[in-house]
Amino acid sequence: MSRSAIGQLVYALLAASLVALTATVKTDGYVANILMQAATYAIAVFGLSIVLGLCGQINLAQAAFFALGAYAVALGTVDHQLPFWLCLVGGMTLALAAGAALGLSTLRLGGHYLAMVTISFQQILTVVLINATGFTHGPDGVSSIPRPTGFTSVQAFLALVVAILASSGYLVWRLADTRLGRAMRAVRDNELAASANGIDIFRTKLIAFALAALLAGLGGGLFAGGFSYISPDQFAFADSIVLLTMALLGGASSPVGAAIGTGLLILIPEWLRFLKSVPGLYLAVYGLAVILIVIFMPDGIWGYLGKLFQARERERPKPAEQLTLHPVDSGAPMALEVRGLRKNFGGLKAVDGVDLQVRRGGVHALIGPNGSGKTTTLNVVTGLYRASDGAIFVDGVDVTALPAHKRTVAGLARTFQNIRLFRSMTALENVVVGAERDGNALIKGGRSALWRRAQAALDFVGLGHRVDERIPSFTYGHQRLIEIARALAANPTVLLLDEPAAGLNLSEKKALHDLLGRIAAQGLTILLIDHDMTLVAGAARHVTVLNFGRRIADGETADVLRQPDVAAAYLGVSE
Amino acid sequence: MDFFLQLLFTGIGIGAVYALVALGFVLIFRATSVVNFAQGEFSMVAAYLMVVFAVDLGWPYWVAFLISIAGMALLGAVFNLTVYYPLRNRSFLPVLISTIGASIFLSNSVLALYGPQPQVLPGWLETPGFQLGPVYLDSQYLIIIGVTLVLVGFQYWLFERTLLGKKLQATSQDKEMATLLGIPVAEMIMITFVYSAVLGGIAGILVAPVLFVSIQMGSTIALKAFAATIIGGFGDIAGAILGGFAIGVIETFGAAYISVPFKDAFAFLVLILFLIVRPQGIFGERVAEKA
Amino acid sequence: MRFDRRSVNVGLAAGLATSMLSRSARAADTLKIGMVLPATGPAAAVGGYALAGAKIALDRINKSGGVLGKQLELVTEDDQTTNPGAVLAFSKLAAQPDIIAFLGPVRSTQNHAIANDILKTAKPFCFGGTDPALTKMGNPWMIRFRPNDTYSARVIASYGVETLGKKNWALVHSTDAFGASGNKLLTAALDKLGAKVAIDQGYPNQSQDFTPVVLAIKSSGADVIGSYFTYENDQAIFARQLRQLGVTIPWVGSPTTVAAATLKLAGPALWGTYAVADYATDSSPEAKEFAKLYSAVSSAPPDLQSAWPYDAIGALSIGINKAGSTDPGKIRDAMLSVKGYRGAEGEYNFDQFGDGLHGYNIVRNEKGAIVFDKHIEFTD
Repeated sequence: MSRSAIGQLVYALLAASLVALTATVKTDGYVANILMQAATYAIAVFGLSIVLGLCGQINLAQAAFFALGAYAVALGTVDHQLPFWLCLVGGMTLALAAGAALGLSTLRLGGHYLAMVTISFQQILTVVLINATGFTHGPDGVSSIPRPTGFTSVQAFLALVVAILASSGYLVWRLADTRLGRAMRAVRDNELAASANGIDIFRTKLIAFALAALLAGLGGGLFAGGFSYISPDQFAFADSIVLLTMALLGGASSPVGAAIGTGLLILIPEWLRFLKSVPGLYLAVYGLAVILIVIFMPDGIWGYLGKLFQARERERPKPAEQLTLHPVDSGAPMALEVRGLRKNFGGLKAVDGVDLQVRRGGVHALIGPNGSGKTTTLNVVTGLYRASDGAIFVDGVDVTALPAHKRTVAGLARTFQNIRLFRSMTALENVVVGAERDGNALIKGGRSALWRRAQAALDFVGLGHRVDERIPSFTYGHQRLIEIARALAANPTVLLLDEPAAGLNLSEKKALHDLLGRIAAQGLTILLIDHDMTLVAGAARHVTVLNFGRRIADGETADVLRQPDVAAAYLGVSE
Repeated sequence: MDFFLQLLFTGIGIGAVYALVALGFVLIFRATSVVNFAQGEFSMVAAYLMVVFAVDLGWPYWVAFLISIAGMALLGAVFNLTVYYPLRNRSFLPVLISTIGASIFLSNSVLALYGPQPQVLPGWLETPGFQLGPVYLDSQYLIIIGVTLVLVGFQYWLFERTLLGKKLQATSQDKEMATLLGIPVAEMIMITFVYSAVLGGIAGILVAPVLFVSIQMGSTIALKAFAATIIGGFGDIAGAILGGFAIGVIETFGAAYISVPFKDAFAFLVLILFLIVRPQGIFGERVAEKA
Repeated sequence: MRFDRRSVNVGLAAGLATSMLSRSARAADTLKIGMVLPATGPAAAVGGYALAGAKIALDRINKSGGVLGKQLELVTEDDQTTNPGAVLAFSKLAAQPDIIAFLGPVRSTQNHAIANDILKTAKPFCFGGTDPALTKMGNPWMIRFRPNDTYSARVIASYGVETLGKKNWALVHSTDAFGASGNKLLTAALDKLGAKVAIDQGYPNQSQDFTPVVLAIKSSGADVIGSYFTYENDQAIFARQLRQLGVTIPWVGSPTTVAAATLKLAGPALWGTYAVADYATDSSPEAKEFAKLYSAVSSAPPDLQSAWPYDAIGALSIGINKAGSTDPGKIRDAMLSVKGYRGAEGEYNFDQFGDGLHGYNIVRNEKGAIVFDKHIEFTD
């Protein structure tokens, strides 16, 4: 049995025993209340583990989604006598919809702006809950909320909540290793790279928000049943902050961390009650504790402890597999063609009417002095920027209007001038992200085929023996290789390399030269941007030269490099 | 029309308070990319200091004021060293949480030290206000508006006309580059925190005669000030100030002409609108990322 | 994220174990009364007053021999002025088996939150919230020590319409549970007396500015103001701005109008206002005596916040003595059978719902001094 399967079995056993424990051991009301609050909040914090921990998006409205679930259950059961479960599902759906709506705003916004949209939503909901008295009962709140039949005693309901907690924790835990989970982590680590590797970042963020809200709604509905009374002041902005703090203190990206953070933040004020003789003292100590934990345990408490427990999950040694590159060939004459491309930034014409024809197979170089528009051209071709004018064809297909991740599907793959790897993931995981792009015909046979291909790609670049290490442990040169492996794993039609030799020493450059040769030998088309003339002259058969956003030369390498205006562009004209 | 003018005056008055606090926010944000959730507590602590010196100890108003401001400068420095500096190389989220912890610590420390009863702080002028035609001008609001304008002017002069201001701007725009140019970045950040704490403190002392001194007085203002910085454009000083005034006016008019209970929602509705329609705010520009 | 073997709920389990360990048993030679009060949060000021009032009663009773031969002891927990905080505070106290009765918060919404747990604990619970619904929930353990808002509303209406002769009302109220409920009752009471509501202004708690409300009152043509304010600083700011903008019509307000904190903050702005006050120093000899005892421990004037806990402790001791035992059911029955108990707030005659007081005092703010005007009682 694999390590991960053992882990899951242990989880299931522990969860089951905890549920049994809760159902049978009699606790007094105080402890039961604490557990009830902790368990329902923890489910909401799991939601934050997804949207914030996995996907890196800030969400300060978690209490609002919690409120939606709570009020759905409360109003549904008390005012309309609907069954508890129906109301709970209704509340979760409502929260999901609200979360998705909020997630739509990520189309345009990130960071602090996103934070403010979520805060605004939270504030507005609170005001509505208080003032729409006819519907929400206003500030009186809703009391005598019933529990579902069969779970009416505190003990039974608490056991139910713990069971749901364990189940959702399991789902969140496993999510990290699914394709969606990897996509979220990629978005968190490096959005541009994620997009360039075929991930629809907007859709991923939207799903993250929706899932977070769903879990919050679930927690809220159970909270309502647990405490039998809810009122608007329990779901205010301050409570969203509390949930966020719980996630961060425990360790944002893991459900274990979430549970720990929740437990601690509910328990610390309770433990500190002995300081109650001086009003406010215990909360002051609590505030101080928050600061200290953030400073000394940057990954949260679980991140700190988890490092002690972490054993690397070694994949069983795979039979060495050859990396196959089978670029799609539709018969179009050019692998990549650009016609009349323009890109303006305000008044600056970065790309000013560039034509480019990249023949199938072999290496084509794009060179020019600094500021000539090479990287901009590359960015427009791969979809990071919108073209101001012109057209782009990949293997004969017009991709001009497609977003970046769709161009990957069409057969483009690239590396970046400033290496863009997903730093929290291992080398293997990085390459898997590349391999699992939509439309990759070379991964049939599901998960194991995916991982085998990734392994093969890393073998191809010479790093097959270090697949389970995280990115920060690799040198710059090796990171460059991993980035190339990631691109190759996607089985692209055209591979675009943006200054791959930048920052490499002499021997690393030689290794890169050899690698490019091996890639080209498999029939893959490469478009190479670089300043290193030795590399360019050695590797590329064709060269296009840009200057001031315009094409000034194009043709076979030897000829072009001898042209006087090319030399003048680089070296200046002698008087 | 009379009511309109009265509402306008009050709206601008409360807006000036938001603007001052927003200014403190924005300065820290520009220098450190950190949103300081404890900015409101700066206002609250300063007000309590004034109560201790001017009311409890009975010292002359100006003396108490200067000592309180000095105290705030000290608090800003300590805040920088304990809450921000150890986290300066981490992403903005841990720092955000750290400032939240600081906010809880500050408000409850004051509670523990001083007790929960709200306090009265007298205003600067003897006369409580003037009647100008149909409009009653609360003298404290007049002072608030006046001081805010002076501070805004000072802000402009500092940043645009002095070398120190240029250094501060350089630090906030690109810390690494500033270091390479020989600008002592850590010092600049320290100055920023001290100045922001002082600004927050002045705001608190100014508004205390109107809103009374209580443990919660800071947090209610801070959230609105935070919204003001967004409306103005998150990195922009002029925007934050204008945003503050805008929120004050929108809130007051919204309450009067639409609905008082929902007035807290108006600022945020406008905010969402801005974020959807013009996320860079009135003045802010989005910086493109180099691929 | 790679995992080995661990439990997701390690944190919770650890917390559970530790909290169980932290409770210790104590020898019972005192009778313990649990008290839930706000030591932190926006209502922290009130918590101090409540504790002072309860302690005065406690000391007095203990000095004259205690109850059933034992000394009374108060065990307090902070509710942080929040609902979940109140629930946790109460359940922490409820977990101590040697606590025989409880004093609860003065905020109605918190009492609502605790209600279920009170039912389960099945011990007498004395509270100060005025939402009428709290005694109509069929919870036999909840005993109220202030007159509820049906009475405050009727007294405000009665005084304003019948004594002051004003029929065109401007109503100002907080949008929280207390303010909204009080306002609803006041509107109904005014309607019964044939008076008109010219304008109804709700405001959110912790508003910094009341200019729109004041201007609305000015333009409504009302000749009297009726109000339900929850927080003292809101009321003080409103009062100030009311006077600044030149509104001088009579004002009959809810009890915070004459609360110690409000008087301090608002100063002259509240001179000449009327208020319903369940506690008024000159309303009875017992009230005067409480004021004297209170002034020995606090420089702040006594108000309802300290008076009702004083009465609750007093009533509890009478009930326990009458029951002759610490059995909760017997104590409750004994307390409810008490007739004519004269406390600082008035004369308690408990009805079957648990309400002991059925009327309010009207007081007037004479240049800062609270002067008793009359008491209006309802027998229905």
